[in-house]
Amino acid sequence: MFPPPPDHPLSQAEIIALEADHYHSFVNLALFLSVFTGMEIVVIFTPSPGWFIMTTLITLSLIKFICVILWFMHLIYDPPLLFIVFIAGMILAAGTMTALLRLMSAADVDPAVTNPSGFNYSVPPGQTALV
Amino acid sequence: MSDAASITHDDLGGHGNADAHVEHPTSTGISNKKLLMWLFLASDCMFFGTLISTHLVYRKVYPYGAITKGIVDVTNTFDIELTSFSTFILLMSSFLMALAVSAMHKGQLKSFRRATIGVMFFGLIFLGCQVYEFTNFFDGRAEYTFSVKTPPTAKFPNGEVISSTYHGSSDVVRAQAHLAVALVEEHPDWLTIPAPKPGEPVEKTEGVAPTVLADKHPSWVVAQFKQTKVERASLSLQNSVFGSTFFMMTGTHGCHVAGGVLWLAALFFYSYSGRMEKNMHGAALDVEVAGLYWHFVDIVWIVIFTAVYLVEYIPGYGPGP
Repeated sequence: MFPPPPDHPLSQAEIIALEADHYHSFVNLALFLSVFTGMEIVVIFTPSPGWFIMTTLITLSLIKFICVILWFMHLIYDPPLLFIVFIAGMILAAGTMTALLRLMSAADVDPAVTNPSGFNYSVPPGQTALV
Repeated sequence: MSDAASITHDDLGGHGNADAHVEHPTSTGISNKKLLMWLFLASDCMFFGTLISTHLVYRKVYPYGAITKGIVDVTNTFDIELTSFSTFILLMSSFLMALAVSAMHKGQLKSFRRATIGVMFFGLIFLGCQVYEFTNFFDGRAEYTFSVKTPPTAKFPNGEVISSTYHGSSDVVRAQAHLAVALVEEHPDWLTIPAPKPGEPVEKTEGVAPTVLADKHPSWVVAQFKQTKVERASLSLQNSVFGSTFFMMTGTHGCHVAGGVLWLAALFFYSYSGRMEKNMHGAALDVEVAGLYWHFVDIVWIVIFTAVYLVEYIPGYGPGP
């Protein structure tokens, strides 16, 4: 990961050879992404426990996510600074999401819990909430 | 750290050669365009992170803000086959984008154009699937029974009342409007019924004003229009919190995809201007930056597909208290 930059400007022939290597990586990755997507769809219909399916989905999504970032977005071939910049944003995003999910729950937004006076928020089926 | 005396691989946006147009050296050794695009993507991560987490917080609060009032199975609304297809399409567009960037680095303009056309085509397919999907989500599907009084005939001098069933939008007003159009198309001769005189009573429907049909023909109304079964609940920005967060998130993503398609179209037409050949490395950097944006849009969809669509099908994580 993060190969050191060459000490001389690359010639056109070197660039073409480098890109040929990248091409094979891209094709392999595209095949893997298709297979992983298929696996995600199949696994949700298997008679497995919910925790197993959830873990599998998160793992497969994470693998797909990392593969696209590293190879398609060239992060593996680029200087480490770009990796740090993106990861910093990812960490902030993950932290924000975790905080939101921990701080807010369905119970916090369910009027049946937050509104003991029983004001009727529900709308009869077949009609929109806005009158 | 690079300086003006030693322009290397990184300074020229990833690849360089002795004949390249030399860009201004940067203190980071990375092209400013590329660095700023990565910074933008890092900030966009947070943007989508908040949208997705808001949806995850509110997804159980469906349909009308009261979790204990009844949850409609949203898996009945989603069409996972179509969404899987559009996910596959977006992944393949990402592959083609990588090929387009690679072609530009090699200086192969024709290959770049072919790959870019492919990316735009797949992007438009994805957007088309989204539009079709959202239209179906918005409409929903319900079964109705109705009756119509036909014009006088030789057999029935006062007309006859025909009862039938109709499958249409789960929104009653919209369903009746669509029924009116369908009936007019199927029975154009019914429009020959003379209009009632002023003050003459018109047979009323139950619970729904016959405004749409009255526009078509005042005396020809659909009576007893009643919803008997909701097969697929309508999902909209207004009728549920789930719908509101869902459409905000996927709509924002769709706008990003649309913006990406326009960007690639601009690059595609720009490639015919002759300016790209004069500065291939600058052009390669521009295409690479566009590629970063497109790949980001793809990875966001990877997260949305899993966290929004697939999670609803997991036992214990789906709808329900």
